[in-house]
Amino acid sequence: MKYAFFLGCLIPARTPNYENSVRKIAPELGIELVEMEGANCCAPFSIQSVDYASWLALAARNLCIAEEMGLDVLTLCNDCYESLLMTNTILKENKETRNKVNEILADVGSKFKGKINVKNFIDVLHEDVGLEKVKNAVKEPFNGLKVAVQPGCHLTKPKRIHFGQWMGMTALEELVEATGAKSIAYERKEACCGGPLRGVNDEVAMQVAKQKLDGMKVAGVDCIVTVCPFCYLELDMGQLEIKRHLKEEYDLPVLHFADLLRMAMGMKLENWEIKAHRIPITKILKIKEEK
Amino acid sequence: MNEVANTPRGRGVLACIQCGRCTSSCLVARAVEEHNPRKLMEMIILGLRSEVIAGPLPWHCLSCFTCLDRCPQGGDVGEVVFAIRNLAVREGNIPKGILDQARSLFETGRVVTPSRTALIQREKYGLGKEPMVDVEAVQKILRKTSFDKLIYRGS
Repeated sequence: MKYAFFLGCLIPARTPNYENSVRKIAPELGIELVEMEGANCCAPFSIQSVDYASWLALAARNLCIAEEMGLDVLTLCNDCYESLLMTNTILKENKETRNKVNEILADVGSKFKGKINVKNFIDVLHEDVGLEKVKNAVKEPFNGLKVAVQPGCHLTKPKRIHFGQWMGMTALEELVEATGAKSIAYERKEACCGGPLRGVNDEVAMQVAKQKLDGMKVAGVDCIVTVCPFCYLELDMGQLEIKRHLKEEYDLPVLHFADLLRMAMGMKLENWEIKAHRIPITKILKIKEEK
Repeated sequence: MNEVANTPRGRGVLACIQCGRCTSSCLVARAVEEHNPRKLMEMIILGLRSEVIAGPLPWHCLSCFTCLDRCPQGGDVGEVVFAIRNLAVREGNIPKGILDQARSLFETGRVVTPSRTALIQREKYGLGKEPMVDVEAVQKILRKTSFDKLIYRGS
């Protein structure tokens, strides 16, 4: 299984440990990641807020690179995923828009043809690698670890572009349980983390994150498992901010799903990766060692 | 209203029946009193242009797209918000956080750039060099769409 690997901006800049976990587990599961030379930012919601045509053209340029490679795109970030998936859907369906975008792209020698699909890492693990193969790769299961899953909005919403492809929430929960952990129901599981308003309206972002963390705390989970780097940062660093401003403490470690799977596959996290978490994950490492 | 409805992401406003399901499913509406997606749609329908475009209202939305799934009419408030934001930006209403990202995109091809420490870490921990961005291609595209004029006005 070969994919055009779209890394985006946020992961290399803020959560290289997430990238490292993916690069470590991919070959073990038969996933080959091919770098996308010259790819630009996906044009996330902040850029879509400025201008519609610029969004489609920038996202389409990335899709064209993958088309040239003859590979489906694999993204790790929900924002990249939604931007590229929406663009791919719009341009495949709407000839008029496609022609307009191709006119813009002609200047940089690209042309959107609509030959590839856009996939998220969870999608690839669940559908292409397959749940059974993931289960078989688990050597040191997290028996009974209580997990609050946070798939992030754009793994599942809006339904009209995600349904029919696959079921994001169910897929993530099945993958989490494949590692031996237990996905615990909590209030507002499908809700947003608040991250999209970070840097635009910090107060609102914090209030939304708090609603989410409150539900997790009541459910009594050991940790949070995320897919999206925005959710990761919002819930990890966000806890420190909430403690400072709203005097509420949760002490819930946050792991990327790739970290959880990597550890369950018997690979240790490196010291710099453990230190990258603002809420210490030593509690989880200890639970694992006691097993 | 037509100004919004005639944009690619603004069409949904024509389908709105003011039922309020968007507001009852909105996380921000729970936290911020003045954010009310139903009311925002009503203001567009009533043509209260300056109140909608010049104020902070379009910038409260998380784009979580819960309302897109809940709307019984395909009214897509979460999409209409982008249509309003595009109009607001053209009139100089753009939050600093978004402007910073847009300028970073134009200058580096990325909305967030890694710090020096992050780059050193990449090499040290065997992640290799950061993937190269074709900034020239990005700037060509953004000049053609006049994105640069929107983000460097008056500076």
